[in-house]
Amino acid sequence: MAAIPQNKEKPSRVDELRAEFARYKADVKSRGKPFYPYAMFHDTIMSLVVVCSIIGLAVIWKWSSYGPHHDPLHKGLLGPEVDPPADPGTTSFVPRPDWYFYFLFYLLRIFKWPESVFLGTVGVPTIALMLLIGLPFLDRRRVRRPSARPVAMVAAVLTIISMGVLTWKGATAKEALASEVIQNVPHWIKDEQLPKNAIPGVNLFARAGCTACHTYDGAGGAQLGAPDLTEIANRHLGVATQIKHLNNPSSVTPGSPMPPFASLGQERIRQLALFLEASKGTH
Amino acid sequence: MEPEQPSPDSQHEEAHLPAPTLYPIGFAIGIVVVLVGLIIDPLLISSIGAVIAIVFAILWARDATAELRGEQVVVEPERRETDEADEATTADQQGLMDAPVSRSVFLEGTTLGLGAAIGLLITLPVAGFAVLPSFLGQLLHKVDLGPISQFPLNTWYITTFVVDPAQGEVTRRTAFVRNNGLVANPANPSQQVPSFSIISNHCVHLGCPVQANGPSGTKYVGQPRIVEHTANGKVTGDPVLPAGYGCPCHGGQYDPEGNRIAGPPVRALDRYAYEIDHGRLVLLSVYSVSHVVGTGAQAKIYKYKDAGPGEHIDGPEQWLYPIQPPHN
Amino acid sequence: MATTYRRKPTKAEIRRQKMEAAVLYPIDWLEERSGLIGGVKYFLFRNVPSDINWMQTLGSAALTAFLVQAITGVILAMYYVPSAATDPATGKPVAWESIVNITDHLTMGWLVRGMHRWGASVFIILMFLHMGRVFLFGAYKYPRELNWVIGVLILVMGMMEGFTGYLLPWDQTAYWATVVGINLNGTAPFLGPWLAQFLRGGQEIGAGTLTRFYSLHMLVIPGAIIALITLHLYLVIRLGVTSPPWSKDAAGGEPEEEDGVRLRPGLTRPVPRPSGASAMQAEPGGRE
Repeated sequence: MAAIPQNKEKPSRVDELRAEFARYKADVKSRGKPFYPYAMFHDTIMSLVVVCSIIGLAVIWKWSSYGPHHDPLHKGLLGPEVDPPADPGTTSFVPRPDWYFYFLFYLLRIFKWPESVFLGTVGVPTIALMLLIGLPFLDRRRVRRPSARPVAMVAAVLTIISMGVLTWKGATAKEALASEVIQNVPHWIKDEQLPKNAIPGVNLFARAGCTACHTYDGAGGAQLGAPDLTEIANRHLGVATQIKHLNNPSSVTPGSPMPPFASLGQERIRQLALFLEASKGTH
Repeated sequence: MEPEQPSPDSQHEEAHLPAPTLYPIGFAIGIVVVLVGLIIDPLLISSIGAVIAIVFAILWARDATAELRGEQVVVEPERRETDEADEATTADQQGLMDAPVSRSVFLEGTTLGLGAAIGLLITLPVAGFAVLPSFLGQLLHKVDLGPISQFPLNTWYITTFVVDPAQGEVTRRTAFVRNNGLVANPANPSQQVPSFSIISNHCVHLGCPVQANGPSGTKYVGQPRIVEHTANGKVTGDPVLPAGYGCPCHGGQYDPEGNRIAGPPVRALDRYAYEIDHGRLVLLSVYSVSHVVGTGAQAKIYKYKDAGPGEHIDGPEQWLYPIQPPHN
Repeated sequence: MATTYRRKPTKAEIRRQKMEAAVLYPIDWLEERSGLIGGVKYFLFRNVPSDINWMQTLGSAALTAFLVQAITGVILAMYYVPSAATDPATGKPVAWESIVNITDHLTMGWLVRGMHRWGASVFIILMFLHMGRVFLFGAYKYPRELNWVIGVLILVMGMMEGFTGYLLPWDQTAYWATVVGINLNGTAPFLGPWLAQFLRGGQEIGAGTLTRFYSLHMLVIPGAIIALITLHLYLVIRLGVTSPPWSKDAAGGEPEEEDGVRLRPGLTRPVPRPSGASAMQAEPGGRE
């Protein structure tokens, strides 16, 4: 890429680039249209669409979470207009970032081994940003037609798909908060047709944080690979095994990461065992 | 350089402006002093101002009417003749060029140097102000949680308190507190001292609020709720039966002593140091814990200096965070 | 500079000339003293390729979204109070109350706040779409590499603007999303803990965090974005807008060979080039 003019038949790469750009400039000058009004008209229409969308979203937000007397549980189409004020001492809130950070949020859930935390937080995003900034220096070919740039097109499609998937999975990642799960209890009793002796157990189940790791009838978190308990009774483990397992999971399933729940007391363990053995699945 | 002599013709045939003079400035100063004197001290200062104004007015009038009275007015032309000037100065410049530092180099250097100095003078205090207050003067706030008698033995309480009453609710924090009973004082084994486990609810992955996995409230635990008003505002405690703690953000799980069981947290939950002051439980600073062996009063806690969430304090990855910013 | 008429000008024509002169007088006055009118004229009447595409309006659409944010933001700043202190009368944080005040009690406050909140999302979406369009068109290649880099910086600044603005309502979502976001930065090796403590304004999130995020959101980041956008637009005007690469009439034509390898003939035909451009005078016509 010498600045010294080459005394060869083939011009140097820089000269080619400059000649191409000079051709482009000459073309635009001779065959182009004035920016105003031709291109600016398109820009103005698009800007009008943008402004109308923004106003439209604001109006929908207001009128779907209706009126000044906000019902705090009424979320509306676009979420509530006002959230409860910040409480640094809370134990019942599930933090989430703004939607355009969901792909990073889900990336953090993917890197769930402690040794790899900094990869998810700063490693991968930094590398991605460096690739993005360095794009013009990595791709130095002159050709711009998509049909002649297979690598670029494939990379773009993969990037878009993975960002989209990560964002969507971040949006739908569910965590089970005890306060929300408790509301599901009547619904579970009906769905599973739980008998009367299972009622204390199902109430305890919703409060004891079991849904942090297990899913049950559509609620709960499956992040850590714990089994779904909706039809656990169909495995015919029996109340005695359930009690033994709850007291010390590793004694029934060696190597289980489930913590012992003996601290709940034996009466409560029995109630939980009865509930589990009555969970035969939804009808 | 001869001053230009006004030709007799030009003087009488065309109207022209009076000769340049600086006396109006003196006159204006005199007026200003009069006006200022009216505010400060009319007798003394206004009189001085009046004298100045009159003197300069006379001089100005004399100058302006000089031609009228027939005096010869000599007006120095504004532009200097440049032709002869150039030849005269190049000889000087030659001498200067031979000097150790030429004038232009000296001026360039001084301009840049002074500019840099001005830049530093402005930037350093501003940058210091922007950055340093976050790191200096981190005060320790002691938190009075109330008499230890209100914490029933071996019961976990979800306790909230305000760390700095002056800043208010923004410093509200939550900790899981358990009264472990009495234990032998390591310094003096014959003496029995109260032992508490006080675990911070900030997840050590990325700081989300950790929740207790277990039923809470008097109905399930059989112990009363604590409400206490101390110097640190309102302290509340909810009894709970945790089989462990879990974080809702990314699925971190801890056992009742705060050890990490599953998920991305990089170490055990942080704990509060505490002291017993006249029978009251007082929280001190937070410290980090790599792991805990055993439970309750017999727990062996591996303590480290307070580190932020997500930062490894032991193992090979601790070298990623060699120097921690100043904490209290 | 007399215009020659075939006959004497009518009264209407004289009136029109006088009106034109009256309108032009202040414009000419300004132009002679500043040269600005010439700049505006150059911007408006410069040529662009005749085959440009609707996708190429995304950049100016993003600019419009940014202007909406700037204007609504300035208005909101007149009523928002960046204080994490608790209002003794109601027991709620002052910043949160000011947002409730704007939303519920001030005339059209709900509209301006809603526009600002959703305008942020629209701005970010448009920036991503614009970036995708530029990538598709290959418009990051010579001589537009610098413009691409500036554009990526604008994107990053825009996301930082969203991050700092998210804290300002001081509600639960805002507070905890910011806790996690700052701690994310804190996990960066070596300087991470220092960066996190600087952002927080101390060891823990508190009143200092809200005020410095407010300063970043209102002054530092918008200043950076405005400066970068100015550079970005200057480069767009100077370097010109590309034709869609698949266009048959692409300005400048597409290269036929790359690194000595002749490319498969595509949709473009070589464009008749101005004489004397280079020795590569191709024959007219398409695929052969």
